Amino acid sequence: MNKLSSLLRGWRLSEYVVIAVEVCGSIALGIGIATLLLYTLGFDPGKGITLLLGGGFTDLDYLLSRATFIMMTGLAFSIPLMAGLFNIGGEGQMYLGGLVSLLTAIYTGNLFLALIAGGIAGLTLGLFIAVLRVYRGVNEVISSIMLNWTLYYLTIYLVTNTFYDPLAPHESIKVPQSARLGLISIGDFKLHIIFPISLVFILLAYFVLYHTKIGFEIRASGLAPKAAKYAGLNPERAMIYAMCLGGFFGGIAGSLNVLGFTYYIDTLLTTMYGMGFDGIGVALMGRGHPIGIVFSSVFFSMLIIGGQSMQMVLNAPKEVADALSGIIIMALALPYVYRMALSYLRARRMIAHGDH
Amino acid sequence: MSELAVEMRNVWKVYPDGTIALRGVDFSVRKGEIHGLLGENGAGKTTLMRILYGEIRPSRGEIRVFGRKVSFRGPWDAVKNGIGMVYQHFSLIPSFTVLENLYLSLTSIKKGISIDYVRKLANEIMSKVGFEVPLDAKVEGLAIGVQQRVEILKTLMRNAKILILDEPTSVLTPIEVEELFKTLIRLKRLGITIIFISHKLKEVKRITDRVTVLRKGRVVGVVDTREVNEADLAKMMVGREVFLRLKKAPISPKEPILVVEDLWVKDDRGLDAVRGISLTLKKGEILGIAGIQGNGQRELAEAIAGLRPVIRGRILLENEDITNLPPYLRYRKGLSYIPDSRSVGLILDLNVISNSILTKLRDFVGKGTTILWSKAREFAGSLTRRFNVVVESLNTPVKYLSGGNQQKLMVGREVAVLPKVIVASEPTHGLDVSATEYIRSLLIKLREMGVAILLISSDLDEILQLSDRIAVIYEGKIMAIGKPQDFTLEKLGLLMGGVKVE
Repeated sequence: MNKLSSLLRGWRLSEYVVIAVEVCGSIALGIGIATLLLYTLGFDPGKGITLLLGGGFTDLDYLLSRATFIMMTGLAFSIPLMAGLFNIGGEGQMYLGGLVSLLTAIYTGNLFLALIAGGIAGLTLGLFIAVLRVYRGVNEVISSIMLNWTLYYLTIYLVTNTFYDPLAPHESIKVPQSARLGLISIGDFKLHIIFPISLVFILLAYFVLYHTKIGFEIRASGLAPKAAKYAGLNPERAMIYAMCLGGFFGGIAGSLNVLGFTYYIDTLLTTMYGMGFDGIGVALMGRGHPIGIVFSSVFFSMLIIGGQSMQMVLNAPKEVADALSGIIIMALALPYVYRMALSYLRARRMIAHGDH
Repeated sequence: MSELAVEMRNVWKVYPDGTIALRGVDFSVRKGEIHGLLGENGAGKTTLMRILYGEIRPSRGEIRVFGRKVSFRGPWDAVKNGIGMVYQHFSLIPSFTVLENLYLSLTSIKKGISIDYVRKLANEIMSKVGFEVPLDAKVEGLAIGVQQRVEILKTLMRNAKILILDEPTSVLTPIEVEELFKTLIRLKRLGITIIFISHKLKEVKRITDRVTVLRKGRVVGVVDTREVNEADLAKMMVGREVFLRLKKAPISPKEPILVVEDLWVKDDRGLDAVRGISLTLKKGEILGIAGIQGNGQRELAEAIAGLRPVIRGRILLENEDITNLPPYLRYRKGLSYIPDSRSVGLILDLNVISNSILTKLRDFVGKGTTILWSKAREFAGSLTRRFNVVVESLNTPVKYLSGGNQQKLMVGREVAVLPKVIVASEPTHGLDVSATEYIRSLLIKLREMGVAILLISSDLDEILQLSDRIAVIYEGKIMAIGKPQDFTLEKLGLLMGGVKVE
């Protein structure tokens, strides 16, 4: 018995080794294909790959700050997904969170209030989408996508017409000093404090999901609604909880952006645009787990910044940079495909030989 | 001997998970006959027919259709060879008209036909067979019996010479059944071969020419319907080897604990599944509900557990009306429900600990709403030890446990904190002998501790071994109720097949 259990433990370990090999292998494969693409397009592949993977590390603070926002929008997608909902509305929740934080900061000058107000705004939006879904049967994908546009234009309208800065009309009024999240310095290294704060939110999400009844209800309902119902849980209530949580973190993404990085919203939303959608990729790559999302958000951020520096240095079009990031991310998904194919083939073989 | 329409020889089917559905089945159907395929749940009827229809491939075996050896890659190959199948659940598009549905099914095999051609062909066939279907009516507005006729018409338009009907009467009213039988007889006169899958003895006896009886993946008999009566068929269908007797102390229960009064419950399709059932379960007894699956057992259990709304009637637990209580409050009052499927009773992707507290979550929540994982871990540990659940670690997702261990975990969880009433649905379904024995003796032990058990099972061995009283359920009604010694196997088989016995 003892022997058996130690054998099993050994097998477990080797499973992790296999996963590590798979990940390294697929990254290598991704880089290989990317190199080939760069070569055929006539760019220097060595330089291109170095820039793509290394460009982000020239400014570590920027890398981590950028990761902060998509880490939060990653949560905004992954938590509802656990309950079986596709929250495509991280984008809108982020705009609203940023806007509400900005306004609260302007009117109260209170940092804490501004931050929480942004989160609550996102939460309310999430609640709205969930209520529509649960009680009215409105598909959450549709409603959240439409709300994205509504909030996009609403934010632009308010920033352009009402809250613009008279000295720089393409920007909003700045967040007052009293409500700003600043930088911390570790020796010579300066870091926007929003990154450590986002890690606190990650821990909060982890705690709620894995250590509270609400989290249990969300996870159980998403994995097996019937079983959850049998257990006396309420899958519909779980959807509402999950969307509230997701919306909260979506809102926080905007708040951190406005209160801790840009200190204003520009009239085209360039500092936020698209980050809600990046969060979807981050969430999926991080396997939906808060800790996984920390790593995947930094990785994503690395590819985005690397792509930008490649554009600048090599004069490569944006599309090439995006294609290269896409190739590397897809390569990372390969082990899944490989495993699925393997188990399918195994099942087929069993049928072929399966006579007793 | 007349020519054979279908000949299947030594057909085996092993599913990827290792389940053996068919163990060398020989099955032949003569041209132009109505051939019944009879058997309990899991006997392999549907698997055999899905193989014939090309939906799944046999692991081994030879199939001949009209004497020609065939190997189907999919239903389209079967259709080309003149085989048509009508499922229990129809494959029609509800918002389309009948004609549009027929057109749709025909375009998949004949390219470039016009809708007028389809109408002409449909009318031709209808006049030949002698039934009427309103071609321009929307399907969703038609009665189930008429929809079934559309399905039959569909297969005929695709030139079916062999028609497979999977439990065709299960969704029909008695009048519609009569209509269907008339149609079948006319089709037979037109030379069409019909395979009639059923577990309803009366219907098989009435409509078929010959019957093949399957039991546990094997053919136990092929008979001319004329030469047997319903009792013979019942015996063949359920007949079995001598079963083991578990030791059971005699009891004389008196005190009723769970009372069900005139209960009406609908199934997922909105049809009445439980139709006026009244039962009284007494302290310390096992009341077995025998019946073929799909006769309202699941709906009955779910209504008692609070997972399915009650249309009419009452459920009393210790004289308290619990008809409208949510499940978790019922569980708190001492009701326990073991569902018929492990994918309902367990969350397979979660680990052993999470699953151990699934139905008892509220007992493991501390301050705020935090889950007391250390207490949960302790409980999971004691569960696995007490009920011999073999797990590598408590953190293992339960999907990696064997079926038997999953079942022990699920049953163990439900009985660990001694409940007053257990509703156990198919508690040993799909388990090996040792796990089965374990769970059965556990149920008997619980009974001796005064727990009342409502045992719902389609396994007659189990019902006979464990029950102090037996109720037979058929189409949502209790056909008979009594002590085990009041029933012979034959009588049980007849009752389960819907035949009233004196």
